[in-house]
Amino acid sequence: MGYPHSHDLETTTLLSRYIGDPEAKTLSGWLERGGYETLRQALVMSPDDITTVVKDSGLRGRGGAGFPTGLKWTFMPRDSGKPHYLCCNADESEPGAFKDREIMRWTPHLLIEGCMISARAIGAQHIYIYVRGEFFPVSRVLNEAVVEAYEAGYIGENIQGSGWSCDLTVHLGAGAYIAGEETGLMNSIQGNRAEPWMKPPFPAQSGVFGMPTTVNNVETLATVPMIVDNGSDWYRQWGTERSPGTKLWCCSGHLKRPGNYELELGIPLKDVIYEVCGGIPDDRALRAVIPGGSSTAFLTGDELDCSTTYEGLAEAGSALGTASPIVMDESTCILSAMRRIAQFYAHESCGQCVQCREGTSWVTKILRRIEEGDGRMQDLDTLYELCEQLTGRTICVLADSVVFPLRSSLDKFRDEYEAHIKTNSCTAT
Amino acid sequence: MADGNDTVTLTIDGVEVTVPAGTRVIEAAERVGVVVPRYCYHPGIPTRPAQCRVCLVEVEGQPKLHPSCVLQAQDEMVVNTATDTAELARKSVIEFLLLNHPLDCPICDAAGQCMLQDYAYETHQLESRLNEEKQVMGRDRIAEDILYFADRCIICTRCVRFMRDVADDDALIVAQRGHKAYIDTFPGAELDNPFQGNIVDVCPVGALVHEDFIFKARAWDLDKTPSICPGCSTGCNVTIDTKENQIVRLKPRHNAAVNSYWMCDYGRKHLVMSNRGVRAEVPLIRTNGRLAPVDWKTALEWVADKLGEIGEQNPPDGLAIVSPGASNESLFYLSELVRCLGVGRIVYHVVQGETAALHGFPKLELRADRAPNVTGAELLGAERAQEIARSTAGAPLVVLEDPLTDAPAGFGSEASFFLYLGTRLPNAAREADAVLPVTSFTEMEGTFTNFEGRVQRSRQALQPPGIARPAWLVLSRLLASLGAGDTVMDARTAFGVMAAEVPALADLDWDSLALKGARAKTTAAAAAEG
Amino acid sequence: MSRDLHPAVAGAQPFQRAEREHIEGPIFETAEGRDRLEKILTRYPVKRGALLPLLHFVQEKKGWISADDMVEVAAVLDLTPAYVHSIATFYTMYNKHPVGRHLVQVCTCISCHLHDGDAVLERFLQETETREGEMSEDGKFTVIEAECLGACGFATVVQVNDEYYENVRPETVPEIVQELRDR
Repeated sequence: MGYPHSHDLETTTLLSRYIGDPEAKTLSGWLERGGYETLRQALVMSPDDITTVVKDSGLRGRGGAGFPTGLKWTFMPRDSGKPHYLCCNADESEPGAFKDREIMRWTPHLLIEGCMISARAIGAQHIYIYVRGEFFPVSRVLNEAVVEAYEAGYIGENIQGSGWSCDLTVHLGAGAYIAGEETGLMNSIQGNRAEPWMKPPFPAQSGVFGMPTTVNNVETLATVPMIVDNGSDWYRQWGTERSPGTKLWCCSGHLKRPGNYELELGIPLKDVIYEVCGGIPDDRALRAVIPGGSSTAFLTGDELDCSTTYEGLAEAGSALGTASPIVMDESTCILSAMRRIAQFYAHESCGQCVQCREGTSWVTKILRRIEEGDGRMQDLDTLYELCEQLTGRTICVLADSVVFPLRSSLDKFRDEYEAHIKTNSCTAT
Repeated sequence: MADGNDTVTLTIDGVEVTVPAGTRVIEAAERVGVVVPRYCYHPGIPTRPAQCRVCLVEVEGQPKLHPSCVLQAQDEMVVNTATDTAELARKSVIEFLLLNHPLDCPICDAAGQCMLQDYAYETHQLESRLNEEKQVMGRDRIAEDILYFADRCIICTRCVRFMRDVADDDALIVAQRGHKAYIDTFPGAELDNPFQGNIVDVCPVGALVHEDFIFKARAWDLDKTPSICPGCSTGCNVTIDTKENQIVRLKPRHNAAVNSYWMCDYGRKHLVMSNRGVRAEVPLIRTNGRLAPVDWKTALEWVADKLGEIGEQNPPDGLAIVSPGASNESLFYLSELVRCLGVGRIVYHVVQGETAALHGFPKLELRADRAPNVTGAELLGAERAQEIARSTAGAPLVVLEDPLTDAPAGFGSEASFFLYLGTRLPNAAREADAVLPVTSFTEMEGTFTNFEGRVQRSRQALQPPGIARPAWLVLSRLLASLGAGDTVMDARTAFGVMAAEVPALADLDWDSLALKGARAKTTAAAAAEG
Repeated sequence: MSRDLHPAVAGAQPFQRAEREHIEGPIFETAEGRDRLEKILTRYPVKRGALLPLLHFVQEKKGWISADDMVEVAAVLDLTPAYVHSIATFYTMYNKHPVGRHLVQVCTCISCHLHDGDAVLERFLQETETREGEMSEDGKFTVIEAECLGACGFATVVQVNDEYYENVRPETVPEIVQELRDR
């Protein structure tokens, strides 16, 4: 369950080509499918050449922020004399997102290969794949692949006789969304509370264990081999100038065919929902969609013509995020949905910054009170003001994450809030 | 830094200031008199998590507010600490902190010295917008004498970081996370560190309180006296808080050369204990074989007469036992008196105790010598004695402030004349021919020379009992009666007389000691410098 | 089998299992414990890095992490017990109290919320006759509400120990509970 459904749009399966193919999980199966060929190529390339091709491809970080991957790699020092680390962020925990899980459990060797190539590019001697603790079934598959790859000499000492060595360790989290924030993730690997730290220092200067570090998302790293193999121009045939390539989508909520789909960046959001996912069960009307995971702004049914690119969704007032649309039909109480989202962030706040620690739980309390029929009109002013104070005030963006959906829901579904406050009723049907 | 210099010049709230490269804006601002509100920042704790977000300031040309505790000052940076955005952000932090705060100021020890109370007042937060129930967490014992009120806690983690980064004792931690976070020890365990009391001082609110202070006094009812701690030879700078002529508590006072922002728990408790016990309040002279109370005039004339006789006899092997807890001035006048009487020996005995150094500021050590003026005593001619000295039969004996603990039976009975100057009347002093009541450490002004030769002032925090007087005053008056010098009526003059006589103190004057003290030219000091 | 664990994955074993072991004395002095410890330590440049994996190991064996276990882990890594306590309470997957043989985590986060996650949770509590977070009398179940489990397309998602149950509906809960009960 969970691998991409076939769909009616022109299929572009680069990343997800072997998702659903049980044989691809094994080393022999992976080698039969051309696996580790790109790593062999990369072993004779200079790190700078690898970085250049990834940079030229325009690949942007798939963890949500969309930072250009190749550019990130160039921040790593050259010849620092220190150990370098690559951390693979497999702490997939943004509500709505469930793509990294699929990559890891179907094509673990693809991720390993991507990790090894990327580690070579940034001069890393050790890779940590930080898998969220809940993903035991996933880590079982990944673990097996890692052991196989070690035994076959794709990880470890003198990889494929190249003279280059690099270790890889699978590190399991233990239940903390904030470990998905890159500094929180590094703290967690160090055996600390997964509390983000104030930058500077930036990871490339002083990351995990105080050493130069790059943190990349699973999907990002899994995309690297195909780019190194085929070149940047090849990759750019998909997507747009600023959002090249394909993206693994995670579609959830009220959909006929929820699940993962690999889609070229830039198709209209409307098509993702209605064509790819088949629309809404019983053809009910769409009330709202959060396009990029729970930390992105609500869009209404009238705003679905936007293009699914980083820039397109930003123009529409939301964000591509992790490309994880959560679709809500007309029966959805937006207030209740928003409360549930806020509750998540309140639960996951690490508690360092005052605004986030107190603000996320206060927002939740206010929303719950309105939900329970005890709202007042000034609550809406308070919520707006909280949006102001939770934006850009804290070490990391967890507090901001609650603001995007909150502010947009207040703007776009004010009638909903007012109905609850004034008549203790809901505008959902 | 930009031009390779070691300084940078920036503008803070319209005032230009030049600071060493690497200075953080919060500290640069202090130089122009701007104190940016702060909770998690503490100048004595090296780690800066920038997590309380109350020190946010605006930098021109940059959209986001910056925490000034970590923001490095840079050339041409223009910082505004009080823009509408910054002030609103700050006000909002206070509102957040007050949401679940129990507002129990009327029964909170920190009221009146609370940074949450102060900022709430400054940002004019009179009403809460919270319409939901407050979260209630309760309280816990963190150490034998320290309680933790979780509901008052703002999770600034100063206490955690003091223990971890300064005391090198990772015994205090943040448990749980988010709005459920609180400060905790390992379940069932309590802190057991000789410096743990400092966590109460660094707490900007009333979350951590000393149990022996709880409900004892309101902060605004306390009289505060800058002084030093007499607990050991380190001489930590402290503030003595008193109420109704009782010492209520000691708080460390910053001195970068001695104790930074800290003090040890031994010192913290040591002086408070001196509230207890019966004091010598009036002079006593031996009449008809018994010690009888008399007034000062009678006592001093009587003693001066006796001493005059002794001086004429030119006695051999006179002995003075002094306490290394006595001030330089008292010790100086005592040594003058001994000299006046002819040949004599001055000895001191100092109680020894276990030592403990503060990892993050190793100069601050609870030192084995449990007295504040061992170096001063040595400087003024006293020799260290391992145990209580015996006087020679037929020779005079003068004791200054030594409690004569463990003195053998009949101590002093063999002396030709036994003069005791002390704050109390120990059993061993009952053989004395005269007992002159002197003021204790906290009841007078004086100077003390710490282990490395730093001469520091203690100030009068309490009224002395009865008619006790500072030893230096009593001794100078005795000397004056014997025709040696003038009676001095204030410590400044006494110090001046002493400094003129003692080469090691020659460079020092009373005013230069101010609040931080100054180094004497002791051999130890010379060695430390060289 | 555990002896053959590759060090690269020694710290990443499923640590919430139905099987519990009764281990007398220090867990890291057992053959398996020593082996795991040694392997894990090779993967981190500083000992503290091994903290999460070692706590995983304790929970894998015992089902939860007691104060004594924290003290042992602290000693093994030269940390203070307080520090270990701080870490164990930060991460929600570490059980600080015994849990039932089947730890049922019901996601009620947004995508599952849209698919009756709350009702699924209710139903689990009903069927197991427990209150949230409490172990059932027979020791078989502990049911807790979970935040997003990362399988949102298959709501409602329920995690039982190291297994995922997807597309769970309130009406399918009795069957799942019965199946677990019979195991």
